[in-house]
Amino acid sequence: MPLLLLLPCLIWISFFFLAPLAAMCWRSIASEGSSLEPYAVLFTSPLYTKVMLTTVKTASIATIGALVLAYPLAYVLTTASRRLRALILVCVLVPYWVDIIVRSFSWLILLGDNGLINRMLMRLGVIAAPLALLYTAASVLVAMIQILLPLATIVLFGAMLRIDRTLLAAAKIHGASEWQAFRTIFLPLSLPGVYGAGLLVFVLALGFYVTPALLGSPRETMIAQTIMVEASQLLDWSQASAAGAVLLLITTVIAALYNRYFSLDRLWGGTDK
Amino acid sequence: MSITWIPGSRRRGGFETRPHMGRIALGAAVLAIIVYLIFPVIVVLAISFSAGNFLTFPPPGLSLRWYLAIARDPEWVSALKVSLQVGSLSAIIACLLGVPAAFALVRYVIPAKALLSALILCALVTPPIVTAISTYLFFVPLGLNNTVLGLACAHAVSGTPFVVINTAASLRSADRNLERAAIIHGAHPVWAVLHITLPIIAPGIVIGAILAFVHSAHELLVASFVLGGLGKPVAVKIWSGVQATSDPTIAAASAILIGLAILTFASAAATQSLARRRNA
Repeated sequence: MPLLLLLPCLIWISFFFLAPLAAMCWRSIASEGSSLEPYAVLFTSPLYTKVMLTTVKTASIATIGALVLAYPLAYVLTTASRRLRALILVCVLVPYWVDIIVRSFSWLILLGDNGLINRMLMRLGVIAAPLALLYTAASVLVAMIQILLPLATIVLFGAMLRIDRTLLAAAKIHGASEWQAFRTIFLPLSLPGVYGAGLLVFVLALGFYVTPALLGSPRETMIAQTIMVEASQLLDWSQASAAGAVLLLITTVIAALYNRYFSLDRLWGGTDK
Repeated sequence: MSITWIPGSRRRGGFETRPHMGRIALGAAVLAIIVYLIFPVIVVLAISFSAGNFLTFPPPGLSLRWYLAIARDPEWVSALKVSLQVGSLSAIIACLLGVPAAFALVRYVIPAKALLSALILCALVTPPIVTAISTYLFFVPLGLNNTVLGLACAHAVSGTPFVVINTAASLRSADRNLERAAIIHGAHPVWAVLHITLPIIAPGIVIGAILAFVHSAHELLVASFVLGGLGKPVAVKIWSGVQATSDPTIAAASAILIGLAILTFASAAATQSLARRRNA
C-alpha cells in the first residue's frame, strides 16, 4: 500500500529528474568515443580553475554574510511577542517569494551611477563623482546575501525554536546576566542550526546564475554562467555536461552531508515550521 | 513543564543598564536588516508606478502607464498566459504526485524513509543550471522541448516537495480519530480518506499547490532552455528585458510577480488561520 502511494512520485522523479541527470553525466564521458577530455579541460584550464575559485569564494562569503545577518533576526523572532513575530515573519517571507530576477534587478537600480545610493552620497557631499558600485564583487555579494537571507533566517528560526528556553531562565535565576546566559547557553545550543543553515545556503549559493550575470563583471563569473555559455553559445554540450556533472557531485555531497546530520525534510518549506 | 519566560517582562534593577543597551542595539540592528530585506522590493514596486521614462528611484511621478503598456503588448500578455498554463499544470501534477506520497511518508513505516524523502526534496537543492541542461538534452529525443507540457512536467519535479511538505504537516496535525470513527461505522477506508481526511488537510494541499505554482512562475533556467524560443514564459521574458531595455515596463512586470508573491503569502496565511479556526 505505501509503495503504491509513493510509486507515481518516484517514477516521475526518476523519469523527469534522475534519468536526465544520469544521461547528462553519461554524455560528458561518452560523446566523442568515451574520452575524458572534457574533464581534463575542466581540471587543467586556467579559465575553469579561476571560475571555480570565484564560485566557491563568492558562495562562502555570501553564506557567512547571510548567517551573520540571519542570526539576530532569528533570535529576535524567537523572543518577540506574537504580533511582532508575525510582522517580522511577513518582512522575511515576502522577499523570499519575490523572484530572484526582480530582487537582483532592484539592486541594479539602487547601485547604478545614477542610483539612489550614489545620489544620496553626492548630495551629502561625501563623494564628488559617482562611485562605481555596480559590476563589482561587492554588488554581487550585497544582492546575493539579500536573496539568501530569508531562507537562512527561516532555517535558523526553526532550529532556535527547538532550544529549551527554560535553561536560559535557570541561568538567570542563578545570577547570569542576559549576555552571559546568551553566550554560555543559547549560542552553543544554536550552533548546530547555524551549521545546518550554512550548508543549505552554501549549496544554493554555488548554483547562482542571475545575480552574478546581472550585477557582476566578467571577473565575477560563477560556474553556472560558464555552463550556460558552453551550452547555449558555444554549443559544447559535452563540456557543459562535464562541468554540470562536477557541480552536481559537489552539491550532492554537501546535501548528503546536510541530510546525514540535519535531515533535509525537517527544515524545508516556507510555511511549515 | 510550562514555565513561560517572557524576555522583556523581567523587572530590572536600576543599576543593571547594560542588558538594556544591548537590547536597543539588537533592535536597531534587526531594523536595519529588515530595511535591507524589504527596500529592494519597495523600490521595484514604486518604479512600476513611475510616470517617467527611466528607471529612477524615487520616481518623478505616479502613473499606471507601464501596466497599460504590458496589457497592450501581445508579447507580455502571451508570456503571462504561458506562465499561468505551465504553473497551473505543474501545480496540478505536483498535487497528484505529492499528496499520495505525503500519506505514505506520514502514515506508514517504510524502509529507507529518510532516503525517499531526501530524494523527493533534492530537486530543490540541485543547481538550476544542471537541471536545465540535463532536462533540455533529455527532452530533445522526446520532442518535449518548446512545449508547455514539457516545461510543466519538469517544473512538477521541483513543485512536488512543496506539496509533500505542506500536506505532510497538515496530515500530522489532523485528528485521525475522525477517519477511524467513519471506518468503525462501516465506511470504506478509501471513502473515509477521501471524504473525511482530505477536506481536513485541504488547506495544506492548497498552500503546497500555490507555492509550487509560484516556484514555477519564477523559474528561469529550465524555462529558458525548454521554452526559450517563441511563447516564452514571463520569467524568461523579464530576464531578456532586464538585460536589454531600461524602461519601467520590466518593473511593472516584476511588480506583477511581487503582487503574486504577496497574494501567495496572504492566501497561505488566510487558509492557515481558516483551518485553525475550524479546528478550534
